[in-house]
Amino acid sequence: MDDIRYAERVVSAAEVKIAASRVQVFYGLNHALKDVDVEILGKTVTAFIGPSGCGKSTFLRCLNRMNDTIPGCRIEGRITLDGHDIYDPRVDPVQLRAKVGMVFQKPNPFPKSIYDNVAYGPRIHGLARSKAEIDEIVETALRRAALWEEVKDRLAAPGTGLSGGQQQRLCIARAIATSPEVLLMDEPCSALDPIATAQIEELIDELRTQFSVVIVTHSMQQAARVSQRTAFFHLGRLVEYGETGQIFTNPHDPRTESYISGRIG
Amino acid sequence: MTDATAPEAAPPEPGSLFAPDARTRRRNAAERRFRAYGLGAVILSILALVLLLTSVIGNGAGAFRQTFIAIPVTLDAAIVDPRGNRDIEEMKKVTTIGYGRQLEASMVAAVAAAGLQSEGISDKDIAGLLSKEAAAGLRNRVLADPELVGQTVEVRALANGRVDGFFKGRVTMESAALDSNITPEQLVLAQRLREAGLITIAFNPQFLFGPDASELRPEAAGLGVAILGSAYMMFIVLVLALPIGVAASIYLEEFAPKNRWTDLIEVNISNLAAVPSIVFGILGLAIFINFMGLPQSAPIVGGLVLTLMTLPTIIIATRASLKAVPPSIRDAALGVGASKMQAIFHHVLPLAMPGILTGTIIGLAQALGETAPLLLIGMVAFVREFPAAPPEGFFDPASALPVQVFNFTQRADPAFVERASGAIIVLLVFLVAMNTVAIILRRRFERRW
Amino acid sequence: MSLGILVLAVLILAAAGFLAGRRRAISSAGGDPRRLHSLPGHYGQFAALLTAVPALALLAVWLMAQPMVIEQRVASLLPAGDASTSSLVMADVRRISTGLQRLAVTDGLSPRDVAGLSPEGLAPRLRAVGVAVTSMGPETLAAARAHRDLQDRLGFWMVVSVLATSAAGLGLALARIRPDFRARNTTERFVMVILIAASLVAVATTVGIVMSLLFETMNFFRLYPAQDFFLSLTWNPQFRGGSDLGIWPLLWGTMYISFIALLVAVPIGLLTAIYLAEYAGARARSWAKPAIEILAGIPTIVYGLFALVTVGPALRDWFAQPLGLGASSSSVMTAGLVMGIMLIPFISSLSDDIINAVPQSLRDGSYGLGATHSETVKQVILPAALPGIVGAILLGASRAIGETMIVVLGAGAAAKLSLNPFEAMTTVTVKIVSQLTGDTEFASPETLVAFALGLTLFAITLVLNVIALFIVRKYREQYE
Repeated sequence: MDDIRYAERVVSAAEVKIAASRVQVFYGLNHALKDVDVEILGKTVTAFIGPSGCGKSTFLRCLNRMNDTIPGCRIEGRITLDGHDIYDPRVDPVQLRAKVGMVFQKPNPFPKSIYDNVAYGPRIHGLARSKAEIDEIVETALRRAALWEEVKDRLAAPGTGLSGGQQQRLCIARAIATSPEVLLMDEPCSALDPIATAQIEELIDELRTQFSVVIVTHSMQQAARVSQRTAFFHLGRLVEYGETGQIFTNPHDPRTESYISGRIG
Repeated sequence: MTDATAPEAAPPEPGSLFAPDARTRRRNAAERRFRAYGLGAVILSILALVLLLTSVIGNGAGAFRQTFIAIPVTLDAAIVDPRGNRDIEEMKKVTTIGYGRQLEASMVAAVAAAGLQSEGISDKDIAGLLSKEAAAGLRNRVLADPELVGQTVEVRALANGRVDGFFKGRVTMESAALDSNITPEQLVLAQRLREAGLITIAFNPQFLFGPDASELRPEAAGLGVAILGSAYMMFIVLVLALPIGVAASIYLEEFAPKNRWTDLIEVNISNLAAVPSIVFGILGLAIFINFMGLPQSAPIVGGLVLTLMTLPTIIIATRASLKAVPPSIRDAALGVGASKMQAIFHHVLPLAMPGILTGTIIGLAQALGETAPLLLIGMVAFVREFPAAPPEGFFDPASALPVQVFNFTQRADPAFVERASGAIIVLLVFLVAMNTVAIILRRRFERRW
Repeated sequence: MSLGILVLAVLILAAAGFLAGRRRAISSAGGDPRRLHSLPGHYGQFAALLTAVPALALLAVWLMAQPMVIEQRVASLLPAGDASTSSLVMADVRRISTGLQRLAVTDGLSPRDVAGLSPEGLAPRLRAVGVAVTSMGPETLAAARAHRDLQDRLGFWMVVSVLATSAAGLGLALARIRPDFRARNTTERFVMVILIAASLVAVATTVGIVMSLLFETMNFFRLYPAQDFFLSLTWNPQFRGGSDLGIWPLLWGTMYISFIALLVAVPIGLLTAIYLAEYAGARARSWAKPAIEILAGIPTIVYGLFALVTVGPALRDWFAQPLGLGASSSSVMTAGLVMGIMLIPFISSLSDDIINAVPQSLRDGSYGLGATHSETVKQVILPAALPGIVGAILLGASRAIGETMIVVLGAGAAAKLSLNPFEAMTTVTVKIVSQLTGDTEFASPETLVAFALGLTLFAITLVLNVIALFIVRKYREQYE
């Protein structure tokens, strides 16, 4: 595991952004997630790793209530954002998702122009007073997503015409255009080639200055490269959670060690 | 959705999660409105269809029950068998007019016996309560059994359509006053006869099994010929369309090379499925009747036209179910050395069968309800004789259920509206039964790979 | 020998062929099926196919050709007249021929008796066996006799040749059966030919439609100038010729009614589809979808009666008369409204499929940004599904334009160019029905115009269908 390049471990103000305690998720009769306790810190990249089907994506989707859209899904326990319970009946998931944005496994640009893709969020949330402001938001988001230089001349072209890596950066731009506080990424690089993956990883590291990023990944190397904190999930349970360096070099739990050394998973 | 002038457009403050801002409230209101539009549309369409069905069923339910008059009739040998030798050929010479006179006398006698004889109503009007079909019915009965001559038989005959309409609320005293076919006095008498038990309202099997009747006798009109004609046509469609459709689908789905030509066949089939049905009627008229000289109004022509119309439906359904059988099944069969033909006929086709049958039943149901093409091939003709047994009967004139409905609507007497709606009820019962079978087949045998 | 018995005989022969072929194969291999190239059953199938298929094909061709041959022969016996009268005479000849046949059966006449029948007094006898004849001269009777003779003779030869073909096929098949004969391959090639022939039926149907429409339309344009048909603004057929047969009033009625129908059906059908696909629960969907399919299967005659009996009078009494817009219960509004109701399930079930084909990832993307459900539907799903929905609407339009029974019963018969939706107007399909079921003779422009109308209808719907199918296909490929 010596070839793994570790991200800088400068965890600034360790303020807790999202806190989850005793979270259970059921799909119908299937108990998919058991007793998960996690505290996600602000301005930090947190990686969820684990074998497929371990519940890491399920947990990620709990954090902005995307599981609400799946019929038959039931969630117990408590998840707070800045101390507010996001499953409180008074909370509107629509408002929550504006604060907790999400990027998906497969790039899913809308069949609209690049501009309209990015402007969609600000428009529905009413974040701009004028066309000029939207233009500005779009440009900023695209610049932050490191896509501006490539698409500035063809903002009216359909987003579906971009390459896979560009599409995924477009989706990131679309997510950050609503200025969320947390950005959830569900295996954002699994459909991309290595070069596009490297670009996205670089981008994630930059995004850390503004957002709290939570990334689900299949690749331990990627988790080691981009994250400051890592959580290991196995069979619907959170096995171990801590500093990335500690998880990869000195795991406390034997299951974590087995997974990292490639014996299970 | 852009609301450029909204004052609260600033990013929501932290902690506002519990208190939706004005914009979110507006968006949620829009959400609820949209959802209400959708629900409204669903309710509106259900309402329209409920209205349709209640209108048809409300109008048509009465067709199954009919007003009957029961009277004893003495069959005077001097009239029905003037030579007195009980020879059928001789007795056939007595027309329905003779039997009509017998019925008239018996009616008058029956009314008198019930003590209902009233002033100002002629014998002819009393007999007019009976259907004009009654005499023919009595004649047939006597010819079938000459021993009845001279005896007194109990006759249960249909009442005149207006009398029937009076008991069903279609004819009123006011309308009767303006009607040349019935007088208010007759209706008063009919009401008394009903109270006396001579007139009853009961289930009328003749509506389902009897032939059509002329414009002046709505009470006697039945669907027998139409149901039989439709059954003949459905048989022809099933026998021709199912094998041809399945064979064509197997070729197109499993063997045909993917090139321009098969692409054209494919577009052609999809287009045929959407060609207006009346165009198929023109085809039938031009090719089957004018060119090939097949008889008009015959189930064979109707069946052929409907076969051509149903083929695309069956082909599309069959191809979909062939496509749904996973390639692994074919590979497995080919792997043990079966020929491609064997793989398809032994493994793929049986697995696709439920889907094929479902598609076939749905296609048949469509064909059963089709009217327009049948109008053009002459099935509007007034047909009273039942077609012979198949296969010769396929060439005899017949009617069809939906065309019979159309025929009824073209007649002046409002009593035929009830008949038309009743015929639709029969048609819908068949359709619902067929569709239910199709749905059950699909539910039971549907396989997810 | 009747047709049914003939077919049955061929089938029995084929069954016998199957058994004989199988037995012969086994015995030729000395009782050891392993020495055969194919399974014994394949040899049986080979014999059965060769016995039945050529014979039945011959029978089908014969049945189609026989009436044509007879008519041609008989027509030469008749005095030459113009096309229309000769077709009437020919109809009489056919009827008399049938009548003679029945007379021969009921009265037990020998062929000589039939030959000796004279035209006088024959009409009542024919009527007694259910054949009504309008006029009968000696020529017609002679022609009818010739007709019947030919029919009898050809019928006899048909039976003989079909059975001979069948037997020859059986003999040929049995002669070819040897252990090294590749029965399976031959059978499969045979079956392949049958499969290809079946797939050509659909093509033949289209060719038949186009040919019959084109042929009679050309006849029509020989009798009536094409520019008048396409450019005249009046439709006024006369029984005695001199008609105005301009298509525009009919096209206007068709388009007006279809427009109203789509105006009703598209919003309601689309919203219904959206509600069912996006909002309704799984249980509601599981009964609503089959219900909609059944509703889409209600025959149009039912809607036609609904228009005639319920909607028409209601619109007249509640809207048209109070507003002073007309007193007719059949109107553009009646037909359009009812046709709209008919199209609701059609549009909604097509749109439902299309909305469900929009990938879930797009919905997730929109929800992930904090869009509400309706914002997702309106701004992401509908734009993504737009091509498919346009295709569905075009198919709906094609259906509306070609719909017949609703307009026959609901729209009226007066060809008019008017804007008042409460006035009775008529459509292309209504006129096709009325011109082809009317009493005018077939070879007159008043009847033949129906084919020109049919061709126009076919052309319009063909364009709409092909565009719609193309769009929908492209749309499906996009998300596959």
